[in-house]
Amino acid sequence: MTYHNLLFVLAVFFALWAVTAKKLLTSAIMLALLSVTVSLIFFDLGAPWAGVFELSVCAGLITVLFIGAVSLIRSDEEKHPEGRARFYALPLALAAFGIAAWFYLPPFLEELASWRRMAAGTTTLGLAIWDLRRPDLLGQILMLASGVFVIKSVFPRRTEK
Amino acid sequence: MDKGLLAYLLIPLLSAVIIPFAARSRARLADILANVTLLAGLLNLAWLALRPSVIAGGFADIPGDGFSLLLVGAVYLVGLCVTFFSAWFMEDGQANRPAYYSLILASVSAMTGVVTTTDFFTLYVFIEVLAVTSFALITTDESTKGIEGALKYFFLTFPASALIIVGISILMLSLGSLSFETLRIFMASDVPPGPVTFAAALIMLGFLIKSGVVPFHAWTPDAYQGAYAPVSAHLAGIVTKISGVYAVVKLATLLRFFDGRAAALSEMLMFLGLLSIAVGALAALRQKDFKRMLAFSSISQVGYIVLAAGLGTPLAIMGAIFHLVNHATFKTVLFLNSASLEKSAGTTDMEKLGGMEHSMPWTSWTSVIALLSTAGVPPLSGFWSKLLIILALWEAGLRGYAALALLFSLVTLAYFMVMQRKVFFGKKTQAAESAPEVGAPLLAPVVLMSALIVALGLLFPYFYAYAKMVAERILL
Repeated sequence: MTYHNLLFVLAVFFALWAVTAKKLLTSAIMLALLSVTVSLIFFDLGAPWAGVFELSVCAGLITVLFIGAVSLIRSDEEKHPEGRARFYALPLALAAFGIAAWFYLPPFLEELASWRRMAAGTTTLGLAIWDLRRPDLLGQILMLASGVFVIKSVFPRRTEK
Repeated sequence: MDKGLLAYLLIPLLSAVIIPFAARSRARLADILANVTLLAGLLNLAWLALRPSVIAGGFADIPGDGFSLLLVGAVYLVGLCVTFFSAWFMEDGQANRPAYYSLILASVSAMTGVVTTTDFFTLYVFIEVLAVTSFALITTDESTKGIEGALKYFFLTFPASALIIVGISILMLSLGSLSFETLRIFMASDVPPGPVTFAAALIMLGFLIKSGVVPFHAWTPDAYQGAYAPVSAHLAGIVTKISGVYAVVKLATLLRFFDGRAAALSEMLMFLGLLSIAVGALAALRQKDFKRMLAFSSISQVGYIVLAAGLGTPLAIMGAIFHLVNHATFKTVLFLNSASLEKSAGTTDMEKLGGMEHSMPWTSWTSVIALLSTAGVPPLSGFWSKLLIILALWEAGLRGYAALALLFSLVTLAYFMVMQRKVFFGKKTQAAESAPEVGAPLLAPVVLMSALIVALGLLFPYFYAYAKMVAERILL
């Protein structure tokens, strides 16, 4: 249960970091971490397929695309001042969310936990990744490698200019 | 996944990872590593499939379904031609040289993954890898046109990915499995297809967009024309064929179009195929840029493959497979020749070129071989694949389709003749005066591919035996 709640807290934490980060790259990485957390939640709730696909598509693929796109943006474009005033309202919003969560979240989490108990022991994370979707792992590795090559291919040209 | 062919995926990936480290101080090592990796793979494949004992046994010893092996061979062949060509084409001081070769090897690896997988989701993952690597490769020289082409490629292929993933999830819901075999067994049974054909249609639509079939062809000419010159050969020769057309042919065999279970889908596919043939050929007639004309010609030739896949009879599938391989050979020659022209004369504008035959005879005559094969002139390889497709159409009673396919084959010959006269024959223009023939290393891959076009045509009976074996294994 603690592990489960921790995942929810982490998910919210990464999501907030993703939207408030100053650097686009940090934002993209936080989004990937959010996807990893969400996929762990899926596994925990007994939906290994959803978990594997979330991990494959969002954490792997989308991140590579984002990082590729961010690397194409010229460095001077990043220096535009951005209006961050709206983020000052964030603590207020968090407080409102906290109060609402106080009422609604415990029963919701309890229900999720009962689902989790029902799903316990069906498929483990390792089994789902390694036995069901082993070829995908290869694709993921290739995807990550390609992401690195894309950055290596695009960045030298930028620094030259 | 076909485990026997796994090494062909892993080794290029390994080389791709090693290259940036190995070539840190000596950039030329990147060229050597990439070429050696692909050459070794190709020799290994030749040993697997072309040993005299295997040929004498009617290719019965070929592992797997044979289709994967053939396409892995085509991927390696085009990859080798492109890397060998790039080694001499690329400027010496280019900063991202190692990353360029790593990307080419990663795309070879991804294409091997695409053709060896037996599961829809894995197919999707590898095709996305291919999209990412292609995007970076198109922008290699960072020209404005390259970036425009890459962006168009992105904007059109990502909705396609979305369609594919929605199709895959519906397939998962209705079949409970994502393996090719489940779909094949399901289509062979008597259970009403229901949502399964809908899911297959969505996946098919996604792959049609990725293969640049009319009316989803808007990205193709810009991407091919704007791409870094050797990359356009890689892209047009093999990448779009594997990431789109291969999947369409594979789906056509899995859906068993010939027994009429997905008749509406089959008819739609044939119609789009014919539309592509017509629109591609007519648009190619009006182009002024060599590379752009080749791109439209590519759309038209893809139409033939899609038309045959839509028909789905064993003969048509054989024609589709053969045309897929042929397309890889002749389009690589033509695009590499356009790259040579660009390097030597500084332009690919057909109005400015003329009489290049006098100064670039090798480039001119290899182009003639490739264009005659594309147009389907006997005894070159393109003739046999078009003959198989047209015969299959005739046999199935679709005489109108057969006649139109034949007619547009003549249009193909016409636009290529116009191209040849404008670019290579006729009076020497100013551009031709100062354009020397490119060096032997740049000609080597083109000459090799042209020889292959002639050889595949003359040794057709052997290839027919192979294609027949493949069609029997994947359909029956």
